[in-house]
Amino acid sequence: MESGGPESASPMTHRVQSLSSADTRGKHRIHAELKRLEQEARFLEEELEQLERMEKASTSCKIMLINVETKPDPLLPSSVGPLSPTWDRWFEGPQDSKSCCRCWIL
Amino acid sequence: MSVTELKERHLAATETINSLRERLKERRLSLLDTDIAGYARSQGRAPVTFGPTDLVCCRALQGHTGKVYSLDWTSEKNRIVSASQDGRLIVWNALTSQKTHAIKLPCAWVMTCAFSPTGQSVACGGLDSVCSIFNLNSPADRDGNLAVSQMLSGHKGYVSSCQYVPDEDTHLVTGSGDQTCVLWDITTGFRTSVFGGEFQSGHTADVLSISINGSNSRMFVSGSCDSTARLWDTRVASRAVRTFHGHRGDVNTVKFFPDGNRFGTGSDDGTCRLFDIRTGHQLQVYHQQHGDNEAAHVTSIAFSISGRLLFAGYTNGDCYVWDTLLAKVVLNLGSLQNTHEDRISCLGLSADGSALCTGSWDTNIKIWAFGGYRRVV
Repeated sequence: MESGGPESASPMTHRVQSLSSADTRGKHRIHAELKRLEQEARFLEEELEQLERMEKASTSCKIMLINVETKPDPLLPSSVGPLSPTWDRWFEGPQDSKSCCRCWIL
Repeated sequence: MSVTELKERHLAATETINSLRERLKERRLSLLDTDIAGYARSQGRAPVTFGPTDLVCCRALQGHTGKVYSLDWTSEKNRIVSASQDGRLIVWNALTSQKTHAIKLPCAWVMTCAFSPTGQSVACGGLDSVCSIFNLNSPADRDGNLAVSQMLSGHKGYVSSCQYVPDEDTHLVTGSGDQTCVLWDITTGFRTSVFGGEFQSGHTADVLSISINGSNSRMFVSGSCDSTARLWDTRVASRAVRTFHGHRGDVNTVKFFPDGNRFGTGSDDGTCRLFDIRTGHQLQVYHQQHGDNEAAHVTSIAFSISGRLLFAGYTNGDCYVWDTLLAKVVLNLGSLQNTHEDRISCLGLSADGSALCTGSWDTNIKIWAFGGYRRVV
């Protein structure tokens, strides 16, 4: 009977310790996650405040349209100038045998 | 505080955040009085029109024996580096179609590659979670292999994307499956900053793509499996400047607009989107209706140098050319003669904007340029 005592105490102690340990780790993790969530909530509130003063999308659309239409673009059939002669280097000179001969445009 | 109380507060905080997000969404919607296409139409704009021989394939770069996963141009116009499942990087003279280097990689599972601004080095990364740097001017060994000149180690997941900071050969940004982006000092091999990560305000899933602002290299955007894109300032790693919502699937690719004030995204939801970085507005969605089929996923995007065209590569082999102002597909390179036979996996525009390079799972790389008659307006 005496030899039975320590054996029964040992698993019990181990179980209690492991529960306690898991509890502590879980607590720390939840606490860290809670801090992160609270920080994110503050960021979202900040963004909401910014949006109260934000202009509508049409303003950004107007700026973009002006920007796009004032830049020369070698891939467009119709573009503002100036054009550059180096844009056409892909269609100049002899080509290596590995090139797409069928793609040759003159 | 007990665990029970902590959990209750955690639940309350989560509900607060969900409520705030909903209010933000509603507020943003109320500010969207138009999109780019609506505005451009109201100003009388018409879509770009291409003739049948305008945009043509003018080079095919053959040599890879596996799927091509990534490509990058140098800033001096004519050289390209590509990365392939065959475990090699190839450096090409795009004008002559010749290979100048074929670099056998320590780890074949490469996902991304980049040219340094001076063109003297190339970087690559992949499933080994390392970004490897190769100096193209180093002598090759007896077998013709280049030694790794620097290994940037520290990511806890695969390196999905990398880009050198413009005008600097010594700094580089990576995106990773470990949910973070990192700014590296290549000289020392150390991480200068880590963006996101545990308990930071960052991505909550794998980072798949990054793009550094060409006009302000302190800013970069990242795209992620968490369906968001985020804007970062390299001086403030603890918090994203802004988070962009709207996609309903992985954001596979992000790319700054040429003027640096907007960026585009491409996603598994089949759409590309355009966001304004100053306001956070989603200015446009680029979505093509497919009849019965599920929409193909967008793998990669590139803008023409004015920003008028958006090139988008899809998993089904399409490469749509979108008019960004009218949100219309004005051409599909995937349906032209001499196009690729499989998924378009990567795209890149030459530094002067005169050519588009496409890479594919069919192992080939093609260069496209405007061969028609240009009108000056």
